[in-house]
Amino acid sequence: MSAFSIPAIVRGELIEKPCVAYPAAGGAPAFEAVDPGAILERLPLGNPGTMQELQSVPLEEILEILAETGRHLGNTGRRHLEAACAAGVAVGGYPASLLRQSFAALPAIFAKETVREIAAQRVGLDYLDGWVEQKLADGRRLRIRAFGARCLHIPAGNGGLISAITIIRNAITRGDAIVKIPSNDPLTAIAIARCLLEVAPGHPLTRHLSVAYWRGGDAALEEPLIRPQNLEKICAWGGFASIKHIAGYLQPGLELVALDPKRSATILGPEAFRDEETMREVALRTACDIGMANQEACASARVIYAMSGTDPEGVAQLERLGQAIYEAMVALPPHLSTPPTRVDRELRDHLEASRMIGDWYHVIGGEEDEGAIIVSRLDEPVDYAPLLSGRVANLVPVDSLERATRAMNSWTQTVGIYPESLKRELRDVLPLHGAQRLTSLGYACHVTSAAPQDAIEPVRRLCKWVVEEECNPAEVFPPWKAPPLAGE
Amino acid sequence: MASADEIETFMNDPMEFFSHSITRMHTIPREELAALQQEAARRRFAEHRAEIGVVRNLADRLGRETLDSIHDLPALFFPHTIFKSYPASLLDKKRFDAMTRWLDQLTSHDLSGVDVEGCESIDEWIDRLDEQTPLELITSSGTTGTLSLIPKDKHGAMYTMKLWRMFLFQTFGEEPTDADLNPEVEVIWPNFASGKLGHLRMAAMIRREFTGGDESRFHALYSDAISTDLMFLASKLRAAASRGELDRVEIDPRLLERKDEFEAMQARRPQEMSEFFERCSRELRGKRVFMTSAYSLMYELAAAGLERGIRGVFAPDSAILTGGGTKGMVLPDNYMEVIQEFLGVNEIQEGYGMSEISAFHWACPAGRYHVQPWVIPFLLDPDSSAELPREGRQTGRAAFYDFFNRSHWGGVISGDEITIDWDRPCECGLASVAIEHDIIRYSEKEGVEDDRISCAATQDVNDSAVDFLREFEI
Repeated sequence: MSAFSIPAIVRGELIEKPCVAYPAAGGAPAFEAVDPGAILERLPLGNPGTMQELQSVPLEEILEILAETGRHLGNTGRRHLEAACAAGVAVGGYPASLLRQSFAALPAIFAKETVREIAAQRVGLDYLDGWVEQKLADGRRLRIRAFGARCLHIPAGNGGLISAITIIRNAITRGDAIVKIPSNDPLTAIAIARCLLEVAPGHPLTRHLSVAYWRGGDAALEEPLIRPQNLEKICAWGGFASIKHIAGYLQPGLELVALDPKRSATILGPEAFRDEETMREVALRTACDIGMANQEACASARVIYAMSGTDPEGVAQLERLGQAIYEAMVALPPHLSTPPTRVDRELRDHLEASRMIGDWYHVIGGEEDEGAIIVSRLDEPVDYAPLLSGRVANLVPVDSLERATRAMNSWTQTVGIYPESLKRELRDVLPLHGAQRLTSLGYACHVTSAAPQDAIEPVRRLCKWVVEEECNPAEVFPPWKAPPLAGE
Repeated sequence: MASADEIETFMNDPMEFFSHSITRMHTIPREELAALQQEAARRRFAEHRAEIGVVRNLADRLGRETLDSIHDLPALFFPHTIFKSYPASLLDKKRFDAMTRWLDQLTSHDLSGVDVEGCESIDEWIDRLDEQTPLELITSSGTTGTLSLIPKDKHGAMYTMKLWRMFLFQTFGEEPTDADLNPEVEVIWPNFASGKLGHLRMAAMIRREFTGGDESRFHALYSDAISTDLMFLASKLRAAASRGELDRVEIDPRLLERKDEFEAMQARRPQEMSEFFERCSRELRGKRVFMTSAYSLMYELAAAGLERGIRGVFAPDSAILTGGGTKGMVLPDNYMEVIQEFLGVNEIQEGYGMSEISAFHWACPAGRYHVQPWVIPFLLDPDSSAELPREGRQTGRAAFYDFFNRSHWGGVISGDEITIDWDRPCECGLASVAIEHDIIRYSEKEGVEDDRISCAATQDVNDSAVDFLREFEI
């Protein structure tokens, strides 16, 4: 019995057969998907010259089609999203309430002004629509244009919206995308691509978008596909093992845009404990950073360093804050956060052991798998911090900022900070230790697509930056007139 | 109804209670056994509630003063994580005073007088505990990033070896003969000679119990000991890799000083292995031996021996014991035949046990593991840990209450999926509850090839940097 069926979209055509069955695995149900072997030959673009039709579409037209796709997703195309929601619930990462909430945001994400802002801020509109001229000191004129590239996208499946961002980035850069569907979000990319087909059948944008599922790591499929004659770039999200695996295919002519596995942290200054009202506000914002997206996002707060001090008074104060965070977290409304749908048994066992020993950690909640706050009584996180998930966070008391700074590393993406003054103080230091995005407490999971990501500019990286040079011998010294070096 | 004395003998000296006969141990009628077990569990709980801090805390939280029914036990079982619930930084900082206090909460023995002054390494700390207390602590290999430390004691360890001897040399259904009770064997130990790891601790016990005091009868594959501190470093590297912090691992300078020693040890190994095979094929050929190790290690050894053209080395009536799962190694289907061909023995015995309890459950000729009478087995729902009915054929998470365990609480929830048919007696004729032969770890079951991608980093991150240390954790 298949829980759902994943069609494929190959260059603007919806393909529903033939399917192969995938057995239930790792808590996810059995499903079927279009046999990737049957479409493999049609996935690569082949002749790159056919990109020209797309290259000549004005950006404004692309924005209009994307906006129309967004409106369609909110209206009659909604049935595709409902299927995506059901499949997302079936594979078990998120409750329906959270998926619906993120799908409801799609029309706004595809809105003209939102997408234009990404194109303008992250690439530059004039570079996307034509040649931008610069004059250099040696007299030459450079004209630069951002071209689309043939790219394999391997989006992450947590959160449901990464597929949307992938399709938007591909459209504004005028790329030719092959999107590999993540097994933990089986139908969102399909739903969006189907809506695009429905609003703009036959448009070049649709002919340069393919979406398909195959088992990640299936060498019989990936080896013939991931070659420089088929692709110029690979944009791969998350998963240590998956990035390592993909990196194995790299060779000259293939560029990897890696959005590696990330974790996030929080730093609370001493001001958080100023008075009861402030503590309540800090508790609510922290609860939001932990609970939103059910702590499944890379931006979700997990370990929270607080400048409460490590003396008994400081720890007692932190335990009070922990209690307030716990209460605020379980009170979050279901469209923001719910008790987790899946609980890591190993984490639950660790939590229970910390509760039983009690010397070094104070555990608040968690007895019903609803989420928990672990307050450390020494200035370090629990040894099982890498397991923190399902709304379980760890508050760590520190005496100095130095201790919190040391906790940042190359995997640290977002750092939620309170108050603003502390963020300004830390912004020149934390990045040296690895932090990539510093944001106001409470906004960790309220992410914009118009900013750099993971300390790189992925949208610019998806483009080919092509240069046309004009060298007038009257202005640029001609190399053929160069004299020999003295003494030769 | 058994008298109070009989109950005490049953729970503290089961060999005496069953007159040193494994047949008697496994033919006692189930109702009679259940009544004895119920009373033994009640008494052990009362003792441990008074003596072990963590048991008392848990019982208080659950409002449980006394144990009225065995069905109250699963709620009182420990998660396996309890034995690694100390902050690993305490070992880094050599805070062996705090480590001792932590351990004190987990054992019935009083550790308050232990002197750890000047302790510079984990091995030294464990040696101090060995010298100053009844404990004989064992460690895990730390594959999950922390060492589990289980406060076993010397008395239990010695007693367990005596039990092993009974099960190895007696035959079910026959009263033991003098020869069964006092066998003479050479001991083959295809492993490192010593260490604090669970199975390496056993080396010393086996040396004591099976050589009749003649140490020259103990033949270890490698002469060296495994350093617990090195194991800890390996586990630290693994934990650091899973946090993306490999660049800031601090290595204890005292350990670094021993680098050459460790490298020499590694370099000695091929030579020692050759000598070991040499000894097996000349001096020990045709002798009756006792040999034990995990499936994977035994297979590797057998395959290496066959490659050298050595086969059928020992006497056919040798006692060979294996078990312990395949530790993530993929073995060929015929691995047992390979082992048997190399060893040349009539029979290879199998058993099922785990570090958190003392009991080892022997497999009968039908291949089922028969639960020892001092252990109450439970099947739990794998997710909720609710007890499954004790009737019909059930598959679930294994949990055990071992009331013979004195030094620590004997209730533990395992990571294993097992099957028990509660109603159908095993065809081997024994009355005891039997566990089906195929046991799988939930982690292996769930670790199916999976391509979920999430941009949030997960624990299943491994790093090739620990590869060079991996050989130490067999």
